[in-house]
Amino acid sequence: MTPRGTACKKTRTLAELAPGARAVVRKVSGEPELLRRLMELGFVPGTQITLVRRAPMGDPIELRLRGTHFSIRTSEADRIDVDPD
Amino acid sequence: MSIPTDLAAVAPSPAEGLDRRPETHRRLRRKLVAIAGGPNCGKSTLFNKLTGLRQKVANYPGVTVEKKAGFCTLTRGSTVEVLDLPGTYSLRPGSPDEVVVRDVLLGVQADTPLPDLTLLVLDATCLERQLYLCMQLIEIGRPVVVALNMMDTAEEEGIHVDAALLERAFGAPVVPISGRTGSGLRELREAMEQEVGPPRPVTRALAAPLREAAETVAGMLPTAGPLAGLSRFHVAMALLLDEGENDSLMRAVPHAVRREVLALRSRLDAEVPEWRSHEPIGHYRAIEDLIRRATLRVKPEDSMRQRIDRVLTHRVFGPVIFIAFMAVIFQSLFMWATPLMNAIDFGVSALGRFIGPALPAGPIRSLVVDGAIAGVGAVVTFVPQIAFLFLFISLMEDSGYLARAAFIMDRLMRSVGLSGRAFIPLLSSFACAIPGIMATRTIDNRRDRLTTILIAPFMSCSARLPVYALLIGAFIPNRSVLGFLNLPGLVLFCLYVLGILAAVVVAWALKRTALRGARPLYVMELPPYRVPSLRSVLLTVRDRAGLFVQKAGTVILAVSIVLWFLASYPKNAEVKPLEKELRKVEQTASEAQARGQRAEAAAGRAQAVHLENEIAGVSLRDSFAGRAGRLIEPAIAPLGFDWKIGIALLSSFAAREVMVSTMATVYNLGDADQTSVSLREKLRHAEDPRTGERSYSPLMAVSLMVFFVLACQCMSTVAVVRRETNSWGWPIFMVVMMNALAWIASFAVFQGGRMLGLG
Repeated sequence: MTPRGTACKKTRTLAELAPGARAVVRKVSGEPELLRRLMELGFVPGTQITLVRRAPMGDPIELRLRGTHFSIRTSEADRIDVDPD
Repeated sequence: MSIPTDLAAVAPSPAEGLDRRPETHRRLRRKLVAIAGGPNCGKSTLFNKLTGLRQKVANYPGVTVEKKAGFCTLTRGSTVEVLDLPGTYSLRPGSPDEVVVRDVLLGVQADTPLPDLTLLVLDATCLERQLYLCMQLIEIGRPVVVALNMMDTAEEEGIHVDAALLERAFGAPVVPISGRTGSGLRELREAMEQEVGPPRPVTRALAAPLREAAETVAGMLPTAGPLAGLSRFHVAMALLLDEGENDSLMRAVPHAVRREVLALRSRLDAEVPEWRSHEPIGHYRAIEDLIRRATLRVKPEDSMRQRIDRVLTHRVFGPVIFIAFMAVIFQSLFMWATPLMNAIDFGVSALGRFIGPALPAGPIRSLVVDGAIAGVGAVVTFVPQIAFLFLFISLMEDSGYLARAAFIMDRLMRSVGLSGRAFIPLLSSFACAIPGIMATRTIDNRRDRLTTILIAPFMSCSARLPVYALLIGAFIPNRSVLGFLNLPGLVLFCLYVLGILAAVVVAWALKRTALRGARPLYVMELPPYRVPSLRSVLLTVRDRAGLFVQKAGTVILAVSIVLWFLASYPKNAEVKPLEKELRKVEQTASEAQARGQRAEAAAGRAQAVHLENEIAGVSLRDSFAGRAGRLIEPAIAPLGFDWKIGIALLSSFAAREVMVSTMATVYNLGDADQTSVSLREKLRHAEDPRTGERSYSPLMAVSLMVFFVLACQCMSTVAVVRRETNSWGWPIFMVVMMNALAWIASFAVFQGGRMLGLG
């Protein structure tokens, strides 16, 4: 592993992914209610997520996880830390 | 985990019970089956298939969540009652809909007994996301039958699901079905008929802090009472995780348990801040394992969906297609519905002509023909447009395009402080603000929901369509614009746009003043594209058109008759001799007809028409309605409206579409047994008796339509807002705000138009 490779493995948020990129959920943060809703929909640590596309105006984004497509705003996607897959 | 398997041990035996009557009653009543499932799982289609046309829609008491119930006959001839619960991802409630689902399934919903069986509908094409609800439901410990829906589609898409393995894992019958083709429904009915035991909860890990807390609460739960037939562990989990403090579930347990739950919650918050994640993490570990064992994907994900989405959500094409689609809907809405409307109009006139002569001239004939038939007829005429609108809405919803529209619109909706979720209630409000406002229940955030409720009535609802159609038909020439649009269609489109603009401005203002606050969580599923089921689309159209007619049949008929009375009484002294003369003229005309003197008969009939109009004019000027209309005339004259429009405006507070039947009553009095002049003609040629000029101009029509776009003139909307906001403050605010806006806008249109010389 080159130092550059290690840098690539650094945790980013879901909102920073490029369309088509895949990542694994590392941590979800936020108020308890928001956290619970996200978790119930399957955003639990270890879940593989693909950012499918961005909406015409750049926001929200379309995600694919657990065989389902969800649309989520970048402000919320920012609270989901991911490791690139 | 302590899950009671021997339910008889905790359930009170009937012999011991002091009050035996409820127990007997419980035995005698029909078996109750609740249908649960996630959004887009095909639950409603299955409900329709099972119940056929034997269903009724009501509300759960105290809330505005729709309660859809029906009856289903099983294979051996027994009948069960079926309850279609709102779609939900989880049993932990976040909205009133979800509270109802939890309360029904736990048996604490006031008017609904604990279901004998829960029918869980799972979409086999995206099983993983739905197993969360499944795990929670099975954990309740009540009998469950799983309907594995869309099995045929799953096979086509290359997804194999091992139903037998799921059956073993849940300890509950799993029946593969297809709601679309109806295959597997016979087996499902058979499974519903059998005695189903409690399912077996799927083993899953649960982190110690939450598990121990739940066990403590479970140990404190009473062995009798409302929650006794359920898994005590699940009830404990629900109490801890549902965030309620004094909700229906908390009230169902003794005070000591409630205190303990609150204490445990604050202790967990302090010691293990992430304790609420323990349930989802544990469930999803078990779900992942189950999915690995029970499903097999042999083909990669559908590329068709990708290709369609690439176009429909494209940065440029997406919004363009969306707007074009909306424009086409309203253009065709106006043009396709016209022939049907004309046919109904013709039928209603024929009915009046047929029944009228059979009744004696005078108050009775007038009541039946001018009050009842003309009033209801004028409203029924517009059913085709309502049906077309709902056809488009349900096609969009069932095909999956509605979610894409929300995806495209979200950024825009956010600029007024709303979410893409508000788009669906607002779109529904184009048909009627009542279901639209009720659909705001899916918006979790209170401020977002209030804003959406307050702007929903600006969407031009189907009740405004009759008004628009009448005025456009009467005053807007059928000319083509730019070669491919027609002017009436274009005007209609502009009215819809005006409503949307008003909503945007008001939402923007509200979000910056009275309803400021943090943004809520916004997550929406983008379902796969599906070919809509014709049956389900037509059922929606029938339901919605039916609701409109029902409203027309009761409220409108009643209002029409009251208005007929207000417009006919008190009788002016001048009317009596005129009526006497009319009877004489009619008598002479029919005698002439009998003798075969056609020319004389025709002259007599023409004289009768003239007399009838005179009677109408005299009666109306002096009637209660005429007086009220004249009373407000000074306030509405700057908008171009005369006192007759004033009558229509006042009466349309009952419901906007009443304006049309009011105009019909106002102008048709005594003119129904020979309806040669339609209402549109009447309006176009109406003259001001004081000046002899035409009363109404196209400019007045535009001003009036603008007024109808913006004004809150619907009693039912006010009532539903009162109920949804649980206050009188908001509906009163809404009425004042909307009507002030309407007056100002109409004033600007009429006076501005006159200054430009358009009057």
